[in-house]
Amino acid sequence: MGTWWRGTALVAERGLVENVRSRSFKVLTGLLLLLSIAAVTVPQLISGDKTTYTLATTGKAPVGIVAALDAAGKSADFTVRYISRADGNAVRLAVRDGDATSGLAAGTLYTKARETGTFPVLVAQAVVALETSRQLSEAGLSPAQVTELQSIQPPRQVSVGQVDDEGRAGAGFAVGIVLYLALTFAGSAIATTVATEKSTRISEVLLAVLRPSQMIVGTVLAFGTITLIQLLVLATPLTVAVRVTDKIGLPAVAAGDIGLAVAWFVLGFALYAFLFAAAAALVDKITEVSSAILPVTMILVVGYMLAVTIVMSDPSGGWSVAASIFPLTAPMAMPIRWASGQVPVWQLILAMTLTAATAMLLVAVASSIYRRALVITGHRVRLREVMRDRTAS
Amino acid sequence: MGLRIRDVAHSFGDRLALDGVRFDVAPGVITGLLGPNGAGKTTLLRIMLGVLSPDRGEVQYDGRPVGEQDRRTWGYMPQERGLYPGMPAGDQVAHFGRLHGLSRRDAVSRAHALLTELGLGDRWSQRTDKLSGGMQQRLQLATSLVHDPSVIVLDEPFAGLDPVAVASLSETLRQRAGTGCTVLFSSHQLDLVQDLCEDIVMVDRGRTVLLGSVATLRASSGRRQLRVHVEAPNHDWLLAFPQVTVVSEEADDLRLAVPPGIEPLELLDAARAAGRVVDFGLDLPTLSQLFLAAADRTLDPAGVR
Repeated sequence: MGTWWRGTALVAERGLVENVRSRSFKVLTGLLLLLSIAAVTVPQLISGDKTTYTLATTGKAPVGIVAALDAAGKSADFTVRYISRADGNAVRLAVRDGDATSGLAAGTLYTKARETGTFPVLVAQAVVALETSRQLSEAGLSPAQVTELQSIQPPRQVSVGQVDDEGRAGAGFAVGIVLYLALTFAGSAIATTVATEKSTRISEVLLAVLRPSQMIVGTVLAFGTITLIQLLVLATPLTVAVRVTDKIGLPAVAAGDIGLAVAWFVLGFALYAFLFAAAAALVDKITEVSSAILPVTMILVVGYMLAVTIVMSDPSGGWSVAASIFPLTAPMAMPIRWASGQVPVWQLILAMTLTAATAMLLVAVASSIYRRALVITGHRVRLREVMRDRTAS
Repeated sequence: MGLRIRDVAHSFGDRLALDGVRFDVAPGVITGLLGPNGAGKTTLLRIMLGVLSPDRGEVQYDGRPVGEQDRRTWGYMPQERGLYPGMPAGDQVAHFGRLHGLSRRDAVSRAHALLTELGLGDRWSQRTDKLSGGMQQRLQLATSLVHDPSVIVLDEPFAGLDPVAVASLSETLRQRAGTGCTVLFSSHQLDLVQDLCEDIVMVDRGRTVLLGSVATLRASSGRRQLRVHVEAPNHDWLLAFPQVTVVSEEADDLRLAVPPGIEPLELLDAARAAGRVVDFGLDLPTLSQLFLAAADRTLDPAGVR
């Protein structure tokens, strides 16, 4: 086992070094970094101006109203500007001419026609609250009792849908998207490397010292690491932004969900990476790679579509359960289903075990194809040919 | 020490590539695995290196079946080039050294020494696909020698080389054999490698047809030819040797096949008695001729060059 890992690590190290040195890696990673920084900073720049509301009053705005509105502004992220006008008519004109968002004069709240914003509601609430507490005090209640009455909250509002928690659903979704995108890049890179080794006959030298499983696992490890580096590059600006400013609202996701997402990503990546490697081992010339991996790409696309459409529409339907346990769709379907909170744990464990077992089986199949396809050159090897040889010998 | 090939057979589907091949390769001796295209040479080498598994028979090293650990100490140069095109030359050699079990430091220092020895010292950081064909060939050799292998196996190492490269590769192989390495290489260009091999194994259609030391095989083949230019009016002096046949006769050159049992010197004496001998020589058969005789093939269009 020790030598197996040593050889595998050497294969992985070589693949990693060659790729990190390559121009395409630098360009792609740089691009990802720029993209990520842009995704974090651009919305900030655009929404940089805080919303400002203006309240026009006759004379100075009442202290109670100002205090209530400023407090609301702090929690809802807006500022309020106060302007004073001589009389009620001047206040009305200020609102009509657009100098103020709302106007308050002698028990009348002026708002613009068709004004649908929250500000007038807030002003009205402040006025009502102020008047209520004044009347309560006059009725003989102590200031503590008044505060208590004012702190009565309306019932908490919860949107009811298929998914229990938006944040968790987001994490489930993210696994699918990230896995799909990562595999589109890494899958063809893995296939190209395997096909290069085969078409240049490096494999023949390697097979004298390594087992095919070492070459395949090593190559997949190298590209897995590269993908991880690129994901970190993509995630770093976001993480920094979340730490430094608290303006970016990330859905609160439990650490367990993140751990599960990572586990599914690793499983799904391994499964499809080995599938790509096996497909590439059938290739005779490097130019045939894209057509050889087409079936794998198709499976990936269909798997992703199934996961998104079927599972999102009905997470506990029979098809959804099947899709979330079948190894080729499980890495994309199960995280979304799991987020719905309606999945028994045994289904999760079954899906993970099946996916891991299939990945291991694919290592064996890819290794077998690799070794057998090596001695058949001059044409693209058909899968049937490799399997027939296997039974013959 | 040394390699033993014992009754190795392999077939691809219905096609029998090897049919019970058996021979030994001694250490310190350059051994040629010779035969026409399609004789089964590459298949045999791949079986020796563990790339293919034989249907029957086994390869022994040091008196026991060869294992993965043994092969890690061997060096193998395949027929078609197997190098990573995008990798710098030096890294490539060091990588293969490490795959064969060297530490990173040893691999790098030996790669430096070897590239210098092979005249590639200044190409360390150049991409492999930017090197000329001849340089890539030497780089390939370096990747198979970097770990100081105890057994060196080369598949058609001379194919496509110019005479200078042939001489320099031969020199490298002689040097390694001189230090006690077991050197086995295959070739279909029998006469090109005639002077390099000490021992040969000839295979044809998956069978061993001839093996042994080149010098002994050539001397004892019984297919010696006496080339003599004698100023005599006729060939009457030959009448005393009925077993001797005339192979060819040109203006000033008579070629005679000298069967075993006839002493070539007696033949020469008879010629001198008949007239002045201007030029003479005893030609041993070439490896191609030995092959043709052993394989019982005379005019096969796919035959021997």
